[in-house]
Amino acid sequence: MKTLHVMKLDLLPRAVLAAVLTCAMPAWAQQPAPGAPDNAPFDAEQLFASTCGWCHSDGGRAAGKGPQLMGTSKSDDFIRERIKNGKPGAMPAFDGALSDAQIDAIVKYIRSLKPQQG
Amino acid sequence: MKKQPSYLAVSVAISAAVAIGATLAASPAFAQSVDTARIEAGGQNDWLTYHGSYKSYHYSPLAQINTGNVANLSVAWIHIPGRSTRGLQSTPLVADGVLYYTGSYSRVFALNGSTGEVIWSYFPELDEGLIARQTHSPYNRGVAIGDGKVYVGTMDGRLIALDMKTGKVAWDTKLIDSQKLTVGFTGAPLFAKGTVVIGAQGGEWPGRGPIFGVDAATGKKKWEFLTVAGTDDAMKTWGSDSWRTGGGGGWMPGTYDTDTNTVLWGTANPAPLYDWSGADFKTQGARPGDNLYTSSVIALDVDTGKLKSFHQELPHDAWDFDSAVGEFLMLDRDGQKLVVHPNKSGYIFVYDRNLAVKNVWRITQNSNFVKNIDPKTGELIGRRDFAAGKVEEPLCPHISGGVSWNSGSYNPKTGLYYKLGQEWCMTLDVMKTTPIVAPQAQLNIGANFKIAPPPSGEIYGHLDARDPVTGAKKWEVRFPEPPLASVLSTGGNLVFVPDSRGTVHAYDADSGTELWNHSDGTGHQGGIISYSAGGKQYVAVVAGFGGMASDDYAPTFGGVYKSMPRDDGALIVYSLK
Repeated sequence: MKTLHVMKLDLLPRAVLAAVLTCAMPAWAQQPAPGAPDNAPFDAEQLFASTCGWCHSDGGRAAGKGPQLMGTSKSDDFIRERIKNGKPGAMPAFDGALSDAQIDAIVKYIRSLKPQQG
Repeated sequence: MKKQPSYLAVSVAISAAVAIGATLAASPAFAQSVDTARIEAGGQNDWLTYHGSYKSYHYSPLAQINTGNVANLSVAWIHIPGRSTRGLQSTPLVADGVLYYTGSYSRVFALNGSTGEVIWSYFPELDEGLIARQTHSPYNRGVAIGDGKVYVGTMDGRLIALDMKTGKVAWDTKLIDSQKLTVGFTGAPLFAKGTVVIGAQGGEWPGRGPIFGVDAATGKKKWEFLTVAGTDDAMKTWGSDSWRTGGGGGWMPGTYDTDTNTVLWGTANPAPLYDWSGADFKTQGARPGDNLYTSSVIALDVDTGKLKSFHQELPHDAWDFDSAVGEFLMLDRDGQKLVVHPNKSGYIFVYDRNLAVKNVWRITQNSNFVKNIDPKTGELIGRRDFAAGKVEEPLCPHISGGVSWNSGSYNPKTGLYYKLGQEWCMTLDVMKTTPIVAPQAQLNIGANFKIAPPPSGEIYGHLDARDPVTGAKKWEVRFPEPPLASVLSTGGNLVFVPDSRGTVHAYDADSGTELWNHSDGTGHQGGIISYSAGGKQYVAVVAGFGGMASDDYAPTFGGVYKSMPRDDGALIVYSLK
């Protein structure tokens, strides 16, 4: 399972990815090490869906509680700082919860966003 | 006890920015102590616990304000708590003419119920760095009172007791390691029989969602019940060690059954919110099994916290339609003692006092997460369990639910239950996320999604007047956007609904005819109560928008919501001119 947690920023077609993951993960066999270390490989799209997707709708493609991220004019540094420090009353600070590498990967994920097909 | 103008005192309290128990104006008589028997009786003039009394009717028998004179209702006084980040969400309490309520950041105020004059205020010193990391924060939903104290939870995991007369801290007990688990307390506590009960946030935050019983006299923890795998039997319902980070919690106050010495509580959802298991959820996915005791109603012994009975409303909740709504209407109907509890999905469960299902009915029009729930057994029929990938047919209702966490109102005179329903759906793309096996300071949602209109047309909300046991509908009033606040009914044959645009409406309880309305200037998403002070009836409502449901309103509905602040609020109190 760990071998699948590569930086999936080129975004495999979703159906293909789901099929790969489903085949590769036997039931009840998912036992990753507790508390992933900072240098652990991870999937930015998964991370976004786990942590960011409630407020940034449709995977960041549409405005929700938070703004639409796809096509944002904000700089990488601005986005990095906003993820780290949040915005009081509007967005939590993720400094401490997410590593610098994870935040960088989320920035790249945001830059890679394109409208959903279909 | 030096008397000062209240505005000055508030200003001083704000500038100090530390824990303050400032006793200010001469207070109305604290005539009697508040105890379990008094809360059970309810009382004509008071509002002694979050749900009004242990019967949880959100009903005031007062009839000075009634259908014949409600047109003369106007603002008596206003209180501004300040720092209302994400609005105001609390429900005030009243005892002997003194109103107690909270603002964001667990600010507590005791006010003269006739004039609004500040008697005392208390601003706890909080871990601001922690609060900056929280999503469901910094709002607070109210206090409990009893045995001469006022009890309030904090987002950094503490339960604090204040002297009811002075606001001075009696005790301050740390219950949760919030630095580790991120979650704390936003819900009001419940006072019953010398015990203060309060439930943790949880749900999508990885943890085990504890509910605590604390000694009201000393602040010492008496018991802790884990809503995730809290018993050996429950542990077997979490595969892959998923119980370690199962979510759960019980973030709204339930009630107390004096006949059986039992606390009734609703529990929150498991994490991740959306599981990719598909139909094989018993053995597959992120949290294989039924995931007890999440999305359940539970009955705990108030003295020991021991589980006496439960019903899991949604086994393996795959939709975040949890049971955390704290409303438990205690009814006597045809010789039966019944309990009515709304599930977030919009299905309303009717139980006996042992939580055996007696009936299930639905308040929403648009619902497709299951085909139905068996009204005899409570079994889910035709459930939709998603595999990873885009969900073709939008899921109804939306994640904000078929009903809010706020409460409806039951009027024993009309026999009708006045309850708001929400009609909205969501597109959903379920993600197969990395399993989380240790608590981490981040969310565990497991999907991307977006609010969507229901198949029948536009999003809307509705106030229904229904029989609480059968669900038979007498009348309905529709709103262009779902109201999110609580409802109040009164002995004056009135039903009050504070809506999301900022208008409070009063309806005839028999017909639903609107008799009065007034703008509070910003949206509502908290409580509304009625009480009497100095022989005069008042209606008190909190206004102030912002939070997990209301934050969607500006991008979804535009209009007045585009300019509506999400960091402001006021307590507005009405009386007859």
